[in-house]
Amino acid sequence: MHLVLQTLLITKIIILEPPAKVGGSFLAMKRYTPIVFIVFALLSLGSCCTKGPDDEVEYSDLFDNIANNMIVPRYAEFQSDLGALEMSVNAFDASDVSSLSLIQEQFKAAYLSWQSISVFEFGPAAEYSALLRANCNAFPANYSRIEENIEAEEYNLAFPSNYGAKGLPALDYLLFHSNPSDLLIELSDSSRMLYIQDCLADMQGKVDEVVNAWDSYRTTFVGSEGNDQNSSLSLLFNQFLYDYEKLKRDKFALPAGFATQFGIPLDADTSVVEGRFSKMSFQLIQANLESLENIYLGVGEDGVDGVGIFEKLKEYNAQSTVVDGDLAVSIQEQFSVCKDAISQFTNDLPFEIVHNIFEVQETSNQFQKMVPMLKNDMRSYLSVTVTLTDADGD
Amino acid sequence: MPTVTKAKSYSTQFSQWFHAETSIAPLVVFRIIFGLMMLASTVRFWAKGWIDSLFIQPNNFFHYYGFEWVKPMGEVGMYTVFVLLIISSIFIAIGFFYRWATLLYFLLFTYIELIDITNYLNHYYFISLVALIMCFLPAHRSLSVDVWRKPSIALSKVPNWTIASVKFQLGLVYFFAGIAKINYDWLFDAMPMSIWLQAKTHWPIIGALFSEKWIAYSFSWMGCIFDLTVVFFLLSKRCRLLAYLSLVIFHIVTGVMFPIGMFPWIMILATLIFFSSDFHQKIIVFIQSILKLKEVEPIEYNSLFLHGFKKKLLTGFLLSYMFFQMVFPFRYMLYPGNLFWTEQGYRFSWRVMLMEKAGTAFFYVTDPKTGKRGEVDNSQFLTATQEKMMATQPDLILQYAHIIKQEVESRGLENPIINAEVYVTLNGSRSKLFIDPKVNIAELEDGLRHKDWILDF
Repeated sequence: MHLVLQTLLITKIIILEPPAKVGGSFLAMKRYTPIVFIVFALLSLGSCCTKGPDDEVEYSDLFDNIANNMIVPRYAEFQSDLGALEMSVNAFDASDVSSLSLIQEQFKAAYLSWQSISVFEFGPAAEYSALLRANCNAFPANYSRIEENIEAEEYNLAFPSNYGAKGLPALDYLLFHSNPSDLLIELSDSSRMLYIQDCLADMQGKVDEVVNAWDSYRTTFVGSEGNDQNSSLSLLFNQFLYDYEKLKRDKFALPAGFATQFGIPLDADTSVVEGRFSKMSFQLIQANLESLENIYLGVGEDGVDGVGIFEKLKEYNAQSTVVDGDLAVSIQEQFSVCKDAISQFTNDLPFEIVHNIFEVQETSNQFQKMVPMLKNDMRSYLSVTVTLTDADGD
Repeated sequence: MPTVTKAKSYSTQFSQWFHAETSIAPLVVFRIIFGLMMLASTVRFWAKGWIDSLFIQPNNFFHYYGFEWVKPMGEVGMYTVFVLLIISSIFIAIGFFYRWATLLYFLLFTYIELIDITNYLNHYYFISLVALIMCFLPAHRSLSVDVWRKPSIALSKVPNWTIASVKFQLGLVYFFAGIAKINYDWLFDAMPMSIWLQAKTHWPIIGALFSEKWIAYSFSWMGCIFDLTVVFFLLSKRCRLLAYLSLVIFHIVTGVMFPIGMFPWIMILATLIFFSSDFHQKIIVFIQSILKLKEVEPIEYNSLFLHGFKKKLLTGFLLSYMFFQMVFPFRYMLYPGNLFWTEQGYRFSWRVMLMEKAGTAFFYVTDPKTGKRGEVDNSQFLTATQEKMMATQPDLILQYAHIIKQEVESRGLENPIINAEVYVTLNGSRSKLFIDPKVNIAELEDGLRHKDWILDF
């Protein structure tokens, strides 16, 4: 901003200086004033280009809270959950059913904590070597591919063709697809056990990489300026929206038969739910919603309510155009409505789709209601450009 | 019949002035500025990774009506185009094979703009028009490699129309941007200026002012008056310096406040053409002294002065161009409804930074045989930018429905019924249904006629 002030100052000097009083020296100067202006214009061009408009880092408090109190601790938790799962897998005893249930419990914990990091698919997590969403949670799993891999005892989990054969959905299948006694027999096969360990190691490798990269990326993230495509504001907002839309479609509308694939309307298919065999579908959706809600409200992993998007919208006194009243509050309320809608179900999603499709549809409508609040209102107020390029100038 | 005679004498005077000769200096400086700015813009575009994200990544592209045949050329092709753009802009700046360079630049630049309408910006349209005009101007006939290689083409004077056509095009941008601001929301509601300023209230010192309503009103009115008048002040010798100064301030302020890229800087430098020949001569002398260039004296007296039929043809051509440019922005009057809402006749009219519009579009496909219906996952078809642009523009909503239809039919579902539930907010108004959600968009054809399925604002 000081540039504009500087310009104003110069204007003032020039306007105020009456030529008559300054005499000869001014006349001499006058011949060069246009050139002075070009130089000035060029200078301002240079300095403005290097210095972004929003360099006061208006969102640094938000980024700081999200990075330090959410991203870092959430990754750490997922990392330690995977570690605990690994330990119990290594300690597996085929003759002891309790060792299986311990693995299952640890798995559930890990799958729940995954829900709180899927939204951070930018920066390190979006690097080609990491791509956490594709590597950790490509559901539904490709069961036949998993069996083929185990059978062959030769596979490269790094191949994209194996996205569907690894990660949490693969473990969900391997650890839950049958009753405990059959599973115990199955898992006594060492190649099967090895496959589970390989899946785990694959995820751990990716997550470790992301966690390490965040050490240095944290500064970049918090200090990011402006709102162009690579700004933290844009990345965070776009991923927030994307994670929400994936939740709404992939985890809910798709199995319920409200969605399309490449435009083709699909029938309900309860086999494509997330956490199909562990029957965690609703818990996972709820955890995902809560993770998004906490980012929105600014609640850290320690439970402290800091600066979130909510506070920013309050700061702008943003009004909703979708419902009446304050935008910050209406989005908060819509989160509660969605969470309540999910918690009213007593069984898992596949059951409710078959027996209670009306309530499922109602819940889907509530998920839908949130979208214009985010796209029409929140986006405008945070002046987040999903636009990658320049807007129309004047 | 005195009025007729008077009019006739005016037109003769105008024609005389049109063809009278003036110094080539402003044109030469403009050529150099244009070449360098285009070079900078192209390099910036490349550095930001937009070649990939705008021309290679998308699975589908939105076309301009009548230009459906324009297609991107794949990764190698697109990067080649940008290499050629960079080379031709350098050639323009140094005046090397100028005619070919301007033609190539015009064609390639227009080509990349035609690939996807969701990238439309008024300033890209402006660049295309200026590049087209440049193809016809003798801007390389002084201080150029072409003259160095072939001194016989050197010129010291050019007809007035050459410089005037650039000034006309520049003036048009401001003047029509000003006319577009004469509307109720802008002047009497300070909208969308209030929304934009509201988002900057955290700025130090002056930020607090931005929540004041009177500031929003002043910005709106000042912007409107500036746009409407600045070109006339630039044309007047007495007011020029002050007008230019306000122009610099205006563009810097808007450049700092809004994500409008290179546009302010291009305008700040391009409008130097309004300054006198002496001023430009000084710049040329300056460039010559820095680069240690020797002046190539025109060997013989060259003149571009035309006579008879050629003169009339040129006058006629330029006048029709000017007439078209002045009338085309008003074509929106042929459509019913609110222009900002329907956007029928909105583009190519210098309507810049005028409204705050946002939309959310839910598309549904129904199988006519089974009645099975499902919501479309827009991210399977469009990039985030494309989706955002599509959600507020009826012609793009229609195109998107056809993109979906094509995909669905290629997968064996014939005659799908496609509906869209689109919620749009304009200048902070209540988000409401934008188009008729019951209409089967897949059955509609795009055209220039009024789209009666757009709901009233």
